[in-house]
Amino acid sequence: MGKILMKGNEAIGEAAIRAGCLNYFAYPITPQSEVAEYLSRRMPEVGGVFLQGESEVAVGYMLFGAAGCGARVFTTSSSPGISLMSEAISYISSAELPVVFVNIVRGGPGLGGILPSQADYFQATKGGGHGDYRLLVMAPASVQEAVDMVMMAFPLAEKYRNPVMILGDGLIGQMMEPVEFSDHLKSEPSNKDHWATSGMDTRKSKERNLVKSLFLDAQQLEEHNLVLKAKYDRMKQEEVRYEPYNIDSDYRALIVSYGTMSRVCKTAIDNMKAEGIEAAMIRPQTLFPFPINPIREAASKEGCQAVVTFELSMGQMVEDVERSVQGKRPVYWHGKAGGEIPTPEEVIDAVKSFIKP
Amino acid sequence: MLAIGIAEVEKIKGIFIIVGNFGSGKTEVSINLAVNQKRAGVDVKIADLDLVNPYFRTREARKALAKLGIEVVVPEEKYLQADLPILSPVISGLIRQPSDLTLIDAGGNDVGATVLAALADSFRNKRVHMLQVVNPFRPFTDTIESCLKMRNEIERASKMTIDGIIGNANLIDETSVDDIYNGYDFVKTLSGETRLPLKFITAPVELLPDIDMGHFSCPVLPIERQLVPPWKKAADLKR
Repeated sequence: MGKILMKGNEAIGEAAIRAGCLNYFAYPITPQSEVAEYLSRRMPEVGGVFLQGESEVAVGYMLFGAAGCGARVFTTSSSPGISLMSEAISYISSAELPVVFVNIVRGGPGLGGILPSQADYFQATKGGGHGDYRLLVMAPASVQEAVDMVMMAFPLAEKYRNPVMILGDGLIGQMMEPVEFSDHLKSEPSNKDHWATSGMDTRKSKERNLVKSLFLDAQQLEEHNLVLKAKYDRMKQEEVRYEPYNIDSDYRALIVSYGTMSRVCKTAIDNMKAEGIEAAMIRPQTLFPFPINPIREAASKEGCQAVVTFELSMGQMVEDVERSVQGKRPVYWHGKAGGEIPTPEEVIDAVKSFIKP
Repeated sequence: MLAIGIAEVEKIKGIFIIVGNFGSGKTEVSINLAVNQKRAGVDVKIADLDLVNPYFRTREARKALAKLGIEVVVPEEKYLQADLPILSPVISGLIRQPSDLTLIDAGGNDVGATVLAALADSFRNKRVHMLQVVNPFRPFTDTIESCLKMRNEIERASKMTIDGIIGNANLIDETSVDDIYNGYDFVKTLSGETRLPLKFITAPVELLPDIDMGHFSCPVLPIERQLVPPWKKAADLKR
């Protein structure tokens, strides 16, 4: 099959089917409703299920229940919808179930707006729900990358028995780009008998699988949290993904940016090069785990005067960038949160203002 | 670039409604058709009826069109970013007093075409053409059967009849000359099956030097891309 032209939201839906996910529960919300539209048509064709919940709260627990039965499941929503699901996300994380969440982020806080935004960075990477849990968070910068990340998300969720979130701004969902799809994965998690309530855990011959998140005994809850922490530490070791750009140049500024904003930064870097000003970029593809070491190393390079974070938020990722750079270079932020996307010219002006002429 | 294009073949006059599935390229085609005809000396008005998709609509390009003297009819400024199905009364007015060429860029699928039925009063006693834009590289219009299904759904929702086809085969920036030839063959077959005339096909303006125009029995509308993501520049529309 050759390339086809797809909207990000449609491509995310198709990618989930190709990843063998035949259970989709969701509630419509702009700017991601095309996923539901697309799958309402496609799921019956492949023998799958699309069930629209009565609310995002209900959807969260449909996912919990289905994942607990060993089914491969996913949902898509946008910012306020993810807020409503956050309780279930905490429960699912504690119960160690694999579920894929896609958040096509719109402007906030509150009802906000429907234009592109990256203002759910904190919600995705630092919590959103309660308790000590982490999501593995991936941020695509193109429609093809959204497809690839959805395909990766299911095996990763099952490997760690942990929710994975794809965080895309509204433009990733709405724009059209040519994409191609790889082969179908098998439609059932291969390790589902480790947790599914369909029978016994084959590893422990006499113990029944029990899906729960309640641990009233202090010692048991402590141990449970240590098990979760060990998983998150392993993600930090094994799952960091990022793309360097123009990193072999003698750059004077290091840009850190992800998603749609990083596409604008690439154009800005190319245009600056033509002017004789070199800048480089580290584009985090995983937001948790965050590429701490690559950013620190790139920032430490001789000649790099400043690190500039460009975001469609009021500076949420900049805290992780500062944590990475550890004071070795000044860290600046530039961004917008109303739905407008800074232009390449705006990025160039900002970078120039932070370096010596 | 004016040497090739549908202006050379014919001037189009009347009311034309551009329909098709989501992402078939209705808006890009409408804008470029408007520009092409304006350059040929036809007075053009274009109305954005896309009540379905709040991103990438005609209204995005209205400044460039206004510069060329093409009037764009959109909802009031204060509703521009609202995710609301607002049908401006200006649009029914526009239909009652059309320009030489009046282009109506409808929303996607049957959902987007539903609003046309609400304009039935305005359309009464007018000769109105409805053209279906087809990009065979899009899902749900990649087979002849699915294009026919789309046609039926749009006709049922709009309570109007499609009377022509526009071939808009493209993969945006990755479109090749072969894609244009294959896309032409597809819509030619569709035209034969439906007995609907193939009004024209499109091709990115950058590809024109490499395309053998003798390959086609219909006009070719060059596309100077206007609906671009923020890291790209829209083509500069010269008079």
